[in-house]
Amino acid sequence: MADTLLTGESKAGDWRSYERVILPPVKDLHQIDVYEQNGGYSALKAVVRDGKFDPKGLTDEVKASGLRGRGGAGFSTGLKWSFMPPVDPEKPRYLACNGDESEPGTFKDRQIFEYNPHLMIEGIALACYAMTIKTCYLYIRGEYWEYVDHVQKAVNDAYAKGYLGKNILGTDFSTDLVVQAGAGAYICGEETSLLNSVEGKRAYPRIKPPFPAQKGLWSMPTTINNVETLADVPLIVNRGASWFAGIGSEKHPGPVLYGISGHVNRPGVYEYPTGMKITDLLEVAGGARGGKKIKAVIPGGSSTPPLRWETAVDCTMDAETLREAGSSMGTAGLAFLDETVDMVSWTRRIAHFYHHESCGQCTPCRDGTGWMEKLLARIDSGEGYTRDLDLLLDLCDQMEGRTVCALADAAAWPVRWGIKRFRDEFEAKCKATSFQGADLATAGDGASGTPALVDGDKTLTPGGTP
Amino acid sequence: MTPATPGPAASPKPQYTPGETPERHFSDDELVWTDEEKEQIATYRAQYPTNDGAVMKGLWLAQRKFGWLPPEGMRLVADTLEIPYAKVYGVATFYTMYFKEKKGQFVLDVCTCFSCQVCGGYDILHYLEESLGVKAGMTTPDGLFTIQEAECLGACGSAPMLQVTNGPYVHNLTEEKVDAMLDTLRSASASGGLAPGGGGFALPFESVTLPQDEDEMQGNRRSDAEAVTTYRTPPTAEHVH
Repeated sequence: MADTLLTGESKAGDWRSYERVILPPVKDLHQIDVYEQNGGYSALKAVVRDGKFDPKGLTDEVKASGLRGRGGAGFSTGLKWSFMPPVDPEKPRYLACNGDESEPGTFKDRQIFEYNPHLMIEGIALACYAMTIKTCYLYIRGEYWEYVDHVQKAVNDAYAKGYLGKNILGTDFSTDLVVQAGAGAYICGEETSLLNSVEGKRAYPRIKPPFPAQKGLWSMPTTINNVETLADVPLIVNRGASWFAGIGSEKHPGPVLYGISGHVNRPGVYEYPTGMKITDLLEVAGGARGGKKIKAVIPGGSSTPPLRWETAVDCTMDAETLREAGSSMGTAGLAFLDETVDMVSWTRRIAHFYHHESCGQCTPCRDGTGWMEKLLARIDSGEGYTRDLDLLLDLCDQMEGRTVCALADAAAWPVRWGIKRFRDEFEAKCKATSFQGADLATAGDGASGTPALVDGDKTLTPGGTP
Repeated sequence: MTPATPGPAASPKPQYTPGETPERHFSDDELVWTDEEKEQIATYRAQYPTNDGAVMKGLWLAQRKFGWLPPEGMRLVADTLEIPYAKVYGVATFYTMYFKEKKGQFVLDVCTCFSCQVCGGYDILHYLEESLGVKAGMTTPDGLFTIQEAECLGACGSAPMLQVTNGPYVHNLTEEKVDAMLDTLRSASASGGLAPGGGGFALPFESVTLPQDEDEMQGNRRSDAEAVTTYRTPPTAEHVH
């Protein structure tokens, strides 16, 4: 029998006595004086002024810490930094900090903007030092207008104190931080689309390769990191890579902000190590609302496939375990759905979201998300047929991996896995297909999405209604 | 036969038809930047290697000045930044927060994405529609309120919630809280002195206390927060769309 990660054992160690580091319990930490009094900017001083690490050394330290991006893809941050080409004095290089959190279920970066913006700013300065970057664009979603103001004030304070700008801390290292507000487009959270948005274009994702490290902002080498990822960097410098690597799950270590929403008694953002059991997170969030039974868990934002509670009880919150369970860590924005939720309506609302947010560049996504929503609306209103479910799965096949960016995949996953894992609910809302041989639900396996057409029955074209 | 899909009831009509001169909403005298705004634009331009980069900030500035973005407002941004109008128009039409048509004085963006959906986002939307007598996507006849159905606003823990004119968030909505909010906004409008289109007025910034802070710090960690709220047990959703 193969080894399984779904053992139901917590990988978070002694999480009950965990002390928060990203959002430590310090009053008014968002003010620069308070931040300094609590050891703020000491990592920047140690590295830039006192030479604790040279740029390569800092990159290696981050690599050794095992820090993985917190924006959804979970890629090794140190490795990403090392993809930057050697410094060419003729070519400017850029850092883009992604604060465009718009994935439904995700609301963690907002807490960093409000409660500990200087940790993020210090992390940005350190990342710029590690990659010899002179300009960073911090992209915050436009809806967070008040947080944009709030962060801008923090940035101005950091400039005034000489932590940003020319000759940081009296050294010859200089870097600028530009805060930019988006204007309400989910797609800007996709890294290459964010680059186009910073350049002042319509935010269409770019085809890769060339990767941003080769050709990013204005065709110059660029690295894109999430806000929370960069906020971890000063902690790694201060306490060491081995400290960071020792927190939580071995392959996906570190502290993480869990945004817990849905039907729990105490929703909100909680800071805990990675590798927390989903049941433990339900417990810290006060348990299910009104003592109801939890039916489904979305582990990391709307694009991560929903898990049935029976599976979720054995899951821990780290990339490997969730992959084995058939979902992914995403942004660690957990949503708990209780037994009152109609999964068909839920899936329909997600499809509506992706239809609305598709940028319209690639046909499979622009049209696919629309058809997906229409089909789900039909099923939701009781007008659908069981064969529509297979049509939906076929549609997922036609969308996944056929577009420039991953939005089409993100749209298809919750629908595909929603149908596969909650098929009983979908079928209960469907009318049985009304003539013999037409019930494709029993013919296909549902995964390949190739409906088995009955020979000689010409009416059975996918897309038609019997 | 085709069931209604969730979304705004009224689709926005195009503001500009090729070959036709668009209707003017602002006179030439109004279409000038103040010295302060000129300074702002100079700052924006210095932040980017090309003028294109400053487009989004320029559009934000224009929207806060005029309350929305009429074609001549976009043209003003294009001329100031010395880039083609088509580029500015392209950017403005890509993003939903740039208003290409005139809206009410207060735009109420009610989040109905899934976290809010399962906690009563549609209940709040329908309650607003009933109280104001207009459907989502429409403006009240007195020009005070526009209701819109919004995609995830990133406040899933304090669902259901809404945003007022691209500005303040109002968390943990109940029918009583909606009524109180409408009253505050009505009296703010009656007393005058509100800048057009701008956010951050009439309603205070609501800082949502982290549950862990409540336990360890007995409340919100900010001593300078204008208003404080806590995450609370989400209500049951009566309507899901």
